[in-house]
Amino acid sequence: MEIFKNNKKDRDYTIIIGCGRLGTGLADSLSDRGGNVLVIDNDKDAFRKLPPSYGGLTLIGDATDIDVLHEAQIKNANAVVCVTNNDNTNIMIAQIAKELFKIEHVIARLYDPERECVYREFGIATICPAVLSANEIRKLLGNAKKEDEVE
Amino acid sequence: MKKRVLLIGSFNKARSLATSLIKKGYLVTAINNNYQDCLILAEIDSLTVINGDGTKPFILDEANAQNADIAIALSQRDDDNLIICELCKKKFNVKKTVAIINDPKKTEFFHKMGVDSVVCSTSAITGIIEQQAFMDEIAISIPIGEGHISIAEVPITQTSPAVGKKLWEINLPKEVIVGCILRHEHNMIPRGDTRILAGDILVLISSDKQETVAIKELTGR
Repeated sequence: MEIFKNNKKDRDYTIIIGCGRLGTGLADSLSDRGGNVLVIDNDKDAFRKLPPSYGGLTLIGDATDIDVLHEAQIKNANAVVCVTNNDNTNIMIAQIAKELFKIEHVIARLYDPERECVYREFGIATICPAVLSANEIRKLLGNAKKEDEVE
Repeated sequence: MKKRVLLIGSFNKARSLATSLIKKGYLVTAINNNYQDCLILAEIDSLTVINGDGTKPFILDEANAQNADIAIALSQRDDDNLIICELCKKKFNVKKTVAIINDPKKTEFFHKMGVDSVVCSTSAITGIIEQQAFMDEIAISIPIGEGHISIAEVPITQTSPAVGKKLWEINLPKEVIVGCILRHEHNMIPRGDTRILAGDILVLISSDKQETVAIKELTGR
């Protein structure tokens, strides 16, 4: 396996943009599993949320700035995850990653599912908490109903 | 038929643009997030004002974006302006989209994302400041073609090194031509053997990088 270490496609390097609750949790679990992780946030205090055990990298800067993305060596990344608290920022960074840097896996978290037409054609994967929560709640309600029927 | 223009974001820019566009006979709708700003905007005659976040599809829908001919995104944030233009283009089929951006490095990216016209406020303002600061050397300089080409009026004085020389004797950079000479209200298109006189105003067409070199060569400053 050593031979493949320098091969870009086999290298596991994920850039996470936005160091909030989701960003920190994701960064920690990915780096725990042995991946190379870099978290970017423009507020240095945000990194305090990272647990002391976190073994990845951090970078202070505005990820909508193309120079900051260069500094993060985005060209070597095989995945970029945009999880800032601003939907529009997430969409723009995701589009920069996909269109300018041709990153294979680009994932954006969006609170508002209505802007779908903007990113659909770019091949950007999206996570929408409201939709996921609704599905989960429906599942729970479904289970509750079934249990009622059994009783 | 009157052209419909949609202005999204920014209070001051929207206000002055709306006033001037309405005067020119456009039908203008402004979208603004701030209720107080909307009240002031609404005082402008025949301006339709919508209070809401212009990056949300339902607000654009309320503003009848599908009928707009031109959408202009004026907000402070580059990302908001990108999303506004993309929504207008893809969801509402607006023919022309214009975005203001702060970061000049993103101009090309915005074009790539389908925004028809990208205005970088930062480089426009620095351009004007530079022009004001060097006012005595260049009367007017107009950037065209995304700012890569500029047209400049260069006044020639007694002390300029170019005085008395023929055009081909002057060592101008390759990407510069003297398109026109304004001499005592006579305009002439110069040839290589045209002699430059004191009091002439040369109209230079040049790439942005070579402009200052050419001006130095002509005026010595």
